[in-house]
Amino acid sequence: MHEPHHPVQASYLRMTAQEITQDVIQRHESPGRQFWMVTSVLAGLLGLGIIGFIILLSKGFEDRNAWGYYATTFAYIFTAAQSAVLISVALRMVKAHWRRPIARISELFAAVGLFTFLLLIPLLWVLPVTTGRRSIWFEWPGHSPHLWDTLALGLLVVCGLALLYFASIPDMAAVRDHATGARQNRYRRMALGWQGSLHQWKKLQVGISLLGGFYFILLIVVHMLISVDFAMSLVPGWKDAIFPAFHAITGFQSAVALTIVTMSILRWKTSLRRYIEADQFWGLSKLLLALSLLWFYFWWSGFFTYWYGRQPAEQSILKFLMFETYKVPFILAFLLCFVTPFVILMWNFVRKTIWGPTLAASIVLVGTFFNAIRFYVPAYSIEDSSLHFLETLPPANTPGGVDILIIIGGIAGAVLVYMLASRVFPIVSTWELKEGLLLQRVRKLMKIQIKVLAKPE
Amino acid sequence: MANKSVLGLFDNADTAADATDVLLEAGCAQEDFDVLTGSPYPEGAFGEKNPKHHIYVFPLVGALMGLSVALLLTAGTQLAYPMVTGGKPILAFPAMTIIGYEGTLLGAVIFTILGIIFESRLPRPKLDPYDPRITEGYIGLLVTCTEEKVDVMEQALRRGKAVDVIHEKGRAL
Repeated sequence: MHEPHHPVQASYLRMTAQEITQDVIQRHESPGRQFWMVTSVLAGLLGLGIIGFIILLSKGFEDRNAWGYYATTFAYIFTAAQSAVLISVALRMVKAHWRRPIARISELFAAVGLFTFLLLIPLLWVLPVTTGRRSIWFEWPGHSPHLWDTLALGLLVVCGLALLYFASIPDMAAVRDHATGARQNRYRRMALGWQGSLHQWKKLQVGISLLGGFYFILLIVVHMLISVDFAMSLVPGWKDAIFPAFHAITGFQSAVALTIVTMSILRWKTSLRRYIEADQFWGLSKLLLALSLLWFYFWWSGFFTYWYGRQPAEQSILKFLMFETYKVPFILAFLLCFVTPFVILMWNFVRKTIWGPTLAASIVLVGTFFNAIRFYVPAYSIEDSSLHFLETLPPANTPGGVDILIIIGGIAGAVLVYMLASRVFPIVSTWELKEGLLLQRVRKLMKIQIKVLAKPE
Repeated sequence: MANKSVLGLFDNADTAADATDVLLEAGCAQEDFDVLTGSPYPEGAFGEKNPKHHIYVFPLVGALMGLSVALLLTAGTQLAYPMVTGGKPILAFPAMTIIGYEGTLLGAVIFTILGIIFESRLPRPKLDPYDPRITEGYIGLLVTCTEEKVDVMEQALRRGKAVDVIHEKGRAL
């Protein structure tokens, strides 16, 4: 269907600060029966995942190949959910005013970090020591990645949760002010006696900016550690300097996609439609298009070096990860992370819709999963990681029943944690919305209405 | 003499900004009153001075401490268990970078969290005087003064068109 080329209408929230507070708090107090139904289904799916995990655990940690899809699930959730927090951080850094309705939607993914951290723990027993094989840990003791990667991911989770908590304090104070009974007591404790003095606002905003900055630089290093220690260093002959950066780009791309899909579900299923408008979809779709192009650029840079070198070790890596053993997940990742979103989002009129970015983002999220499969499943299928290079390629590891249970349970668990976190922290940052109201007006410009935005800084 | 607090409540930010002038005229010093709002306002919107803070010092101190501990740990380990590899120096900087980076950020993040809590004077066990309408868009002018000046400040707030004046203990007058 062809849509006329017209600018996205300047969205303006025609609500007062009082209406926003009451609306958000009311929906926070009673999310509705559907919310609990979905939560129950997700809890059931998580239960299936736990059964799968117990079966996997009962076989022990010796057979690394059996843990390939578990590692993939961990990496996928880490890649998408932990990077999603960055959307709020980055847009706040560049003072993008259209971020306001979606800031908390993105920050809430920090809570999923707790689940990701739990998923990491069993992998520490699966990961072999670095002694006798290539790693980034030089001559440090063989359990260095076990210790330092855990510390790094733990620190990222703490930083994300601190960011979520501090950014939510003014909203928790609003809940405290309007709730009664035990709920009020709970939020009184959580709001830490927030009054909203100008001093408190100033310090809170500076603090949030600092934590956001630290989250960003931590995320990059955790991407590097996870991608190198839990994938690349396990495959003999895989020495790709671009891979950690490619992993991070994949994270940013899936983070934008995850935020768009979450926004779309919230628009579709809740009364948040009035806050999340075409502005937000349009803004994020441009980022998604740019990141889809970067996905190709980073993949190409890594691939080209290997293809041009054509050493036996390089050829075996290309065959193993892309053109023979794991050809299917590679082709799917290539099509779903680059080709399809590019073809969809290259059209401006599609980017300005809500369905266009949502469709492209959904496809990217599926593609990111296949991308994780093609890195992590092969890495865990190698029996001896101390070889110089892969002389014979191990057969492809296709998912079995237990693997599928773990994948479904893992993803359901992450969504469940997100939904439960939205019961603690209001899903819309009311203070940022109200600040936005203060800074914008609709004015008449000749024969049209335009939004005028004040930029005091 | 013990200090008391009085809160004037305004339904309009412009009126509240004007009322700060009335307070100053009534003999209230700039540092004796605070503005309570439900969302951040641009700096200086209420005529207030730029609030000073030392939050930036916290992550800096934390980062330096974290880096120092990480360097001590890595350098100390290398010196305590010297292992010559290919004739290279015992103290190898590249082998210390990841741990140094993590230590730096560990200190920076923890100290930033402490800094926000300390600088914002949180948690505050006592909210009085306060009014829930502030989170709905009302503006509060919280005046702290000696007991004998309470009436003068209350009158000043009313002259400034406060819709309500609340004393400590949340008692509406």
